[in-house]
Amino acid sequence: MKLGLRDAGQFVTQYAIYIVLVVLIVCISVYDPSFLSVQTLHDILLQNATRAIIALGAAFVLITGGVDLSAGRVVGLTAVISASMLQIPEYARRFYPDLPQIWVGIPILLAILAGLIVGLVNGLIVSKLRVPPFIATLGTMVAVYGANSLYFDMKPNQSQPIGGLRSDFTTLGSGYIGNGGPYSVPYLVLIAIAIAALVWVIFNKTRLGKNMYAIGGNVQAAHVSGINVGRNLFWIYGIAGSLYGLAGLLEAAKTGGASNNYGNMYELDAIAACVVGGVSTSGGIGTVPGVMAGVLIFGVINYGLTFIGVSPYWQLIIKGLIIVAAVSFDIRKYLARR
Amino acid sequence: MRKTKKWIPALMAGALAVTALSACGKSDDKSESGGSGGGEKTIGVAIYKFDDTFMTGVRNAISDAAGGKAKVDIVDSQNSQPTQNDKVDLFVSKKYDAMAINAVDRTAAGVIIDKAKAANIPVVFLNREPLADDMKKWDKVYYVGAKAEQSGTMEGELLADYWKAHPEMDTNKDGVMQYVMLKGEPGHQDAELRTKFSVQAIEDAGIKVEKVAEDTAMWDRAKAQDKMATFLSAHGDKIEAVIANNDDMALGAIEALKAAGYFKDNKFMPVVGVDATAPALQALSDGTLLGTVLNDAKNQGGATLSLALALANGETPSKENTGYDITDGKYVWIPYKKITKDNMDDAK
Repeated sequence: MKLGLRDAGQFVTQYAIYIVLVVLIVCISVYDPSFLSVQTLHDILLQNATRAIIALGAAFVLITGGVDLSAGRVVGLTAVISASMLQIPEYARRFYPDLPQIWVGIPILLAILAGLIVGLVNGLIVSKLRVPPFIATLGTMVAVYGANSLYFDMKPNQSQPIGGLRSDFTTLGSGYIGNGGPYSVPYLVLIAIAIAALVWVIFNKTRLGKNMYAIGGNVQAAHVSGINVGRNLFWIYGIAGSLYGLAGLLEAAKTGGASNNYGNMYELDAIAACVVGGVSTSGGIGTVPGVMAGVLIFGVINYGLTFIGVSPYWQLIIKGLIIVAAVSFDIRKYLARR
Repeated sequence: MRKTKKWIPALMAGALAVTALSACGKSDDKSESGGSGGGEKTIGVAIYKFDDTFMTGVRNAISDAAGGKAKVDIVDSQNSQPTQNDKVDLFVSKKYDAMAINAVDRTAAGVIIDKAKAANIPVVFLNREPLADDMKKWDKVYYVGAKAEQSGTMEGELLADYWKAHPEMDTNKDGVMQYVMLKGEPGHQDAELRTKFSVQAIEDAGIKVEKVAEDTAMWDRAKAQDKMATFLSAHGDKIEAVIANNDDMALGAIEALKAAGYFKDNKFMPVVGVDATAPALQALSDGTLLGTVLNDAKNQGGATLSLALALANGETPSKENTGYDITDGKYVWIPYKKITKDNMDDAK
């Protein structure tokens, strides 16, 4: 009898996050069966594409044993940078009144570059100044928001939301392959899948990925075995930053606008998705499919609870419970091993 | 190999010093551009949060109105009442001539009034109305703002007028307006009042309403887009109107509606918002947004500055020295305006 219980217990702990996901879907569908549709799947994937990209960035840093609080503010920064340079000429209140119609790739690259730079600065502060990642990225989080607000407040814009974005840019966020119905595939989802594949390759097939797990597992051991911890951290924070940068410009393209409070608190959503998806906050553990499952769990919660009309206050309580419950189950998995 | 490089902290300290100096230089420029002269009065202005779109408009209006007449020191309370109280202490210790406070928490005004009274610095509250009991604490306390319920009422009227002029808006022909509501931050006074009074105005116009769905999108465009997509998937063609507590959320809803095939091939959905922001005016001219309500930032800022300036000069504010009607000896009410495609130039 004891053995049977333990087996069941092990099964539950092993697949806790996926069980949570299935239970959620079942509960919501029992309440409203029309939830189970291709349209729902389409919407959830579309709404979580940018969140997935941010969560993947956050996962890099979490796996090294760090944490990156700058993610949300970098999203806001690059949303504003890209949007400010991509307004239609006839828009009444342009950020740069005299800017010609430049190639759409230039602001996109500038936005990703801005994200990369913030990430590299994080990496430098952590590896060279030896500031703990929580504090280092707390600093950049605050400073990046300040810099973004300065830019956003420049004349003639003076902190007005940026609108009137060019269609060759917004199509990145609203375009799709197919007829536009539930079976069409949004570009955003394709981009997120491509990024997930790329991150999977980095995690599993590159030296940087192996070093990342080694550093997160035991930084002393990694150092002794000849890994240049500082240089690896530098590039890992850089990659994370450029992923936030990409997500920020996609967020602007998706909504057709931008303001400096875009991305506010997204870092916490990303960290929650990662830990629910089995990434260990003490480092060394985490997979791309796990992160994706974590993002989807929150996607299902956000979409499903709104779908059946649950009060926003209850939505918050349920989210909080799920974060704690999922992680407490997940931790058992590793405690059992030790 | 891990020897700490001695020059790095030195470099950081240097960079910090340079940044601080250049920032000081900039703020000096700003107060000069606000107009510095011999006997000019200085007014301390504390805004609840600098990244609020509407308050940014008010903030710009205050500094524009101050040009040449007064020095203004505008500070960010970072959406935190303790931070704002610290800023007020700063105004007091700098012995400013008047203060204009956009309270973070309207119930905290009492404490600020006590501080102001003790230092004998007159105070004008703006945009968030202190409790009536607090307003009575001292005679040099004034309030400039709009009646929040009016913005909701006007939103509802925009929809009611459209409904009467366009019977085809009742797509299921049941004589009832099925609407969805995108709310701002739950518990926020504007969000609650706009939600309540917009619906009430439609009912007052003799139209039956049915709420199909209601959720908060936290004033945020991206969140509203997601919520609207969810509503559309859950309720589809049942929805006949979208009411948003602000323009950012209305625009997010419009993006979701576009993705669902609206605003082309004669498929239309009336969407209304509040604020008349630049992107909202663009949407009005595109024909995607039905209407919005202008919270008159220019006049709120202008009235705040006029009142504060009169008080700083030791005068009692009146229609003559401020240009605004004073109600009950303490209040200046700035009316909202309905904005549609036809009169959108009023909001530019």
